[in-house]
Amino acid sequence: MNVNNTQRKKHGLALAIAGLMLTPWAQAADVNISGFLSVGGGFVDDENSIAYGGYDDEDLTFDKNLLGLQVSGKVNEKISATVQMIARSSDDYDFSAEWAYLTWQATENSKVRVGRLRTPFYMFSDYLDVGYTYAWISAPQELYYLPFNNVNGIDYYLTSALGSFDTSFQVYVGSFDDDFVLTGISATAESKNQMGVAATIGRDWWTLRAAYHQTDLTIEFSDFQLSETVSFNQFLGQLEASPFADTVTKVLVDEDRTTFAEVGLNIDTGRFVAAAEYVEFDVEDSFLSKNIRHYIMGGVRAGDFLFHVTSAKSDDELASPEAGIPVSAETAPIIGTLQAIAATRGEFRDTVSYGVRWDVSSGVALKLQYDDVDDNKGEQKVFSVALQSVF
Amino acid sequence: MMKNFLRSVAAMAIISWSGAVLAEVAVIVHPSAGFDSLTADEISRLFLGKSKSFPNGSPAIPLNQDDGSATRDQFNQAICNKSPSQYKAYWSKLVFTGKGTPPKDSGDDAAVKTLVAGNPKMIGYVDASAVDDSVKVIYKLP
Repeated sequence: MNVNNTQRKKHGLALAIAGLMLTPWAQAADVNISGFLSVGGGFVDDENSIAYGGYDDEDLTFDKNLLGLQVSGKVNEKISATVQMIARSSDDYDFSAEWAYLTWQATENSKVRVGRLRTPFYMFSDYLDVGYTYAWISAPQELYYLPFNNVNGIDYYLTSALGSFDTSFQVYVGSFDDDFVLTGISATAESKNQMGVAATIGRDWWTLRAAYHQTDLTIEFSDFQLSETVSFNQFLGQLEASPFADTVTKVLVDEDRTTFAEVGLNIDTGRFVAAAEYVEFDVEDSFLSKNIRHYIMGGVRAGDFLFHVTSAKSDDELASPEAGIPVSAETAPIIGTLQAIAATRGEFRDTVSYGVRWDVSSGVALKLQYDDVDDNKGEQKVFSVALQSVF
Repeated sequence: MMKNFLRSVAAMAIISWSGAVLAEVAVIVHPSAGFDSLTADEISRLFLGKSKSFPNGSPAIPLNQDDGSATRDQFNQAICNKSPSQYKAYWSKLVFTGKGTPPKDSGDDAAVKTLVAGNPKMIGYVDASAVDDSVKVIYKLP
């Protein structure tokens, strides 16, 4: 699955909060501005094979750049406002509000946030856009592809020390609307009744994490061709008119119960780093496959250099929208088409990535990465480079 | 030629060795603080944002020296077990998630000492040679 966000413009709330922050508190010392930057490029070994990580050209292209600015200001002792704006080269550098929320520091160790928040799907979700904070140029594509990164809602975040362990607990409810592109097909997604929990426990050099999310998801796909003569919508029309009309609901993503489960482990001893993550993403009663993805990464620091290797795997389970249709000569074409539709939604891939991070100076890292991709649709090798910074 | 090379290697070794040993860093609080020492772990928790109060329960405000200061680098390496870039990456994770704010960059030895001397909530670190009666030393490194 190759997903790109094409549109993520929720300027209203962001501007309102930014405006709030700029007027009365501009003079106050309690306005913090921080930023991050990533300038990156890459090329593939064989442009006639599959694209990977947004690269499909044998010539070096620099089109994975982003600039982020975060402004946060105190409204009073207990309440602060935060806006994070990101401009991406893939969006023509239009600034869009990634997050915009108000934080109420309920107690010393707990806070409530209201607004547009990052959905805590993965271990690296919170700082996914801040490449400086991790070893890779970007987190493994096999897992970190979901377009629904943010949610409008409310969350509660609690940290506590449990004996000699540090724990955190986050729970949220919310919803979102988003436009995106799913393997070349543009679509709009809407989530309702979305909720999730994420918890971590750790000590000095290791952190364990688990998360679970669920929502009622609707995705409307723009029409696409299944073959030269039949489009997706035409086929659904035929199905509707057939004795198997109830199968249509097993294809469409229409308020379908969707679940996301994750477990992860992160290790950083100073000398050695390691990370591993496993996720399952399932949209029930739809033609989308159940995505089963995992990776394991290990690395070692030597002076200002960090060398790392990652093995990532996609091993999806295809949906079976044809289940329940009796097999006969008459139904064979329908079953065949349904299976073909489901088959396009599965990803079966092994990727091994080798990378080096060089901390050029405090706040600036230069990274190189080589990905060796073995997909059931083809093989690819990707070389990429990025300069990433925080300020 | 070879002799000169060996001599300069020896000189560099002596300089770097003496450089590492000479600097003594003192962790300081207000003289009125109700405790006389903290462990390295307790100090590390304060400076990494894992804890927001001293072990006796009173609120704590940790202060950093400015980015690039040798005292800061030595303190972060010894107490927080992080190089300057690892320290930066650690705080970036918290800053860009709204989950924390790093200790404020508060200047050099003199500036940190003055701030700590004037506020019972503050905790900072300075080169041991800068310490005087206006502050209380609760930990010394190395």
